Amino acid sequence: MTFNRNIKIAAGVAFLAIVFIAVPAAISASGRFDLYYTLTSVALLSIASAGVWLTFYIGRINIGQGAYALTGGYVSAILVMNHGWSFWLTLPVAGLFCAAASVLIGLPILRLRGVYFAMVTLVLTEVARLLALALPITNGAKGIVSIPLPGALSVFGVTLIPDFATLQNSRLAFYLLAATLMVVCFAVMYRLVNSRIGKLCQSLQQNEELASSIGVNIAYLRVIAYAVSSFFGGVSGAIFAAISQSIYPSSFTVTDSVNFMLNCFLGGLGYVFGPMLGTLVLYFGWDLLFQTGQFQLLIYSGLMIVLMLVLPNGLLSLAEMTRKKD
Amino acid sequence: MAEMLEVSGLTKRFGGLVAVNNVSFSVREKEILSVIGPNGAGKSTLFKLIASFLRPTTGEVRLKGERISGLAPHIAARKGVVRTFQETTIFKNMSVRDNVVIAHHLRSKASLFGFFLGTGAAKADEAAFGASADEILALLGLASLAGETARNLPHGHLRALGIAIGLATDPSILLLDEPFAGMNHDETMRMVEMVRRLRERGLTILLVEHDMPAVMKISDRLVVLNFGQKIAEGTPSEIQANEKVIEAYLGSEDEAIGL
Amino acid sequence: MEQVIANGLYLGAQYALIALGLTLIFALMNVLNFAHGQMYVLGGFITYTVYGQLGLPFVLALLASGVTLAVIGALMEKFLFRTVIRRSHREESTMLLAAATAFFFDAVILLIFGEKQRGVPKIVKGVFNDAGIIMPYDRLAVGALAIIFIAAFVLYMQYSRVGRAMRALAQDRVAAQLMGVRVDRYSMIGFAMGAMLAGVVGGLLVTITGVNSGIGGPISIKAFLMVMIGGAGVVGGAIAGGFILGMMESVGLTVLREYGDVTYLVIFAALMVFLSVRPNGLMGKPWG
Repeated sequence: MTFNRNIKIAAGVAFLAIVFIAVPAAISASGRFDLYYTLTSVALLSIASAGVWLTFYIGRINIGQGAYALTGGYVSAILVMNHGWSFWLTLPVAGLFCAAASVLIGLPILRLRGVYFAMVTLVLTEVARLLALALPITNGAKGIVSIPLPGALSVFGVTLIPDFATLQNSRLAFYLLAATLMVVCFAVMYRLVNSRIGKLCQSLQQNEELASSIGVNIAYLRVIAYAVSSFFGGVSGAIFAAISQSIYPSSFTVTDSVNFMLNCFLGGLGYVFGPMLGTLVLYFGWDLLFQTGQFQLLIYSGLMIVLMLVLPNGLLSLAEMTRKKD
Repeated sequence: MAEMLEVSGLTKRFGGLVAVNNVSFSVREKEILSVIGPNGAGKSTLFKLIASFLRPTTGEVRLKGERISGLAPHIAARKGVVRTFQETTIFKNMSVRDNVVIAHHLRSKASLFGFFLGTGAAKADEAAFGASADEILALLGLASLAGETARNLPHGHLRALGIAIGLATDPSILLLDEPFAGMNHDETMRMVEMVRRLRERGLTILLVEHDMPAVMKISDRLVVLNFGQKIAEGTPSEIQANEKVIEAYLGSEDEAIGL
Repeated sequence: MEQVIANGLYLGAQYALIALGLTLIFALMNVLNFAHGQMYVLGGFITYTVYGQLGLPFVLALLASGVTLAVIGALMEKFLFRTVIRRSHREESTMLLAAATAFFFDAVILLIFGEKQRGVPKIVKGVFNDAGIIMPYDRLAVGALAIIFIAAFVLYMQYSRVGRAMRALAQDRVAAQLMGVRVDRYSMIGFAMGAMLAGVVGGLLVTITGVNSGIGGPISIKAFLMVMIGGAGVVGGAIAGGFILGMMESVGLTVLREYGDVTYLVIFAALMVFLSVRPNGLMGKPWG
């Protein structure tokens, strides 16, 4: 038992080393600083996808994460631009705002199952976009631009994080921020899944009536999971707004919502780290295919279809298959 | 002996159809009471009403004097009314042991957040639940299958697991939904033994069933339904001699009374 | 007022056809066809090519659209969905496949037909102008055709052998199998028919509103809305949903015009409220 545990700890440490040490070192050595943006995007998108994974975990198909990413981005942008807040403060606030919104939205819709829930969430993303276009506070189609880079974060006079504008390489700083949050996010998810809460969610997923009969408050559990999921979406969107220093109604569309879902599927819905792997593969895959010009989408979607036919349970199910062969 | 469960004037209407019509009876503590009746008599609806999975149109159900009808199912469960399910509903993809451990959730004192953080209360709960789960599995003859994935279990053991899940909640009264359905003679005898052992633990049991020989063997008292109404109540020997009951069963096409 | 209703009816008929295709596929296979909007677009482009570019009769063009999409639908079911349904642990995998196919369709359409908005010459010239209603004849023609197709579809499902088999399949897959219905075959036919309906509507509407490669997604969303309103998997629901959405759009566009793009926001908000009360739509079958 401890052997297994030691392997897991070693793997965790190795992963952290790769993310925080090896990658920056490799990038510096090769001079491919543009990769920072790519990896930062992967990290942020995987956080949003992790949220979607969590909704899958309670048995719902969530194609609306784009709405929360957009909302989070706008909340952060508005607080920074109109009220002069520090970016760092807007980050949790954006997340909490999305969580609160999701509770309101979730209460009526989480009862819906399967396709119905999926369709409603799909519509949600569109609604977010339309709201962004219509509300005066979001500045309509022009969006919010010229958002300043994150300022310094100081606690009791001690500067924990320097002002990004003063940094020579803000891309590295964003990468570290995104990577850190990604690690935290997945650590939280890992803990959740392996704790009793994970078992409760599984019971929800597998048999709602039975879960109810053993005293699980299924409505409550679902709302909590959905709120956490939307929190992740909001935070992810807020950081994106900070990186691109702008946010538009079209910053997160239905396609993005669908992509988050795809990331989860590809990695494997049965595995906590599925969304991370799925996002990595899909994002890099898409980027690499850029070379193919007008055939990019064709090849991309074609490969996805093939992958679905061959590995309908996601990439990580390969691990299971090889284990079974032993 | 005190009254554990009291059903008064329970009626359920579905549109124009009256499925359960003004049914009243009580279940005493540590008693095994069975509800029987021909097909379509309303047993299943009555069962769901008592378990709080359906709201009564009129009438109420009280547990130890406290009203539980109309409460949400998980709250009724918390109060002590726990049911099993007909199609051997279990958590298919979890191990047998996990199924029982998770069912202890009702007894849990730590909060959800506590479980997430792994507080002392949460850890104590986990340890206690594990021990209790092992004991229940042993009681129901499932100890050797503890590690198996639930969906692989053979039929008879699935039923036992369903009961184990119910037992884990430490109910005041356990509602068994057709526990003998689809069983052969040996399996039935084993289940009868199991239900007896449950009562020896101090459990009150209400069961709904078709299988007459088993019901006659195991029950302290019976309530007979026909067309949604109670037509008789009494001990097995009283019921077997009851003319209305005989008529109800002979009138329907497919029941033997198991005399 | 009458104008609004007339517009609503004509639009509703088209939408109902789209919703019917989607709901048929859902009823038979529990699959939400994400690519439905793209099938519509493809149908539109095929009609554009046959009728607009090659100058062949409109009816032929419609036929081409319908048949091509039917074949595509059949192939999709047979080679893609059937495999995934068989091999996957979770029901939702088909949704992923559907999403991937939607992207694929988008890519193909873009490559073959390009980005530009395309239109075709009117099929009937002239305008009906009477009793307070102004309606171009071609809209009337298209609306009438749509209603004819709806009626034909409903009758077919109700009375033909194939239709009955599909309905049995939709109600209870296992029971249908036990009765000897060849599940695979009818799933394929159903998918083909669903796709065909989408393609036919595309062909019909290209004569009125034209078509371009970008509207696939939004059409899919509208189709989903209709199915949500009317309820998934039920023919009546799809028709109801289609007409309701058509009517709401017509009303909204007239009444709320001053307020800009608010029509759909209002529709969405109303939908959320509606779904809280009736989660399965007006007539839908519950999922799972």
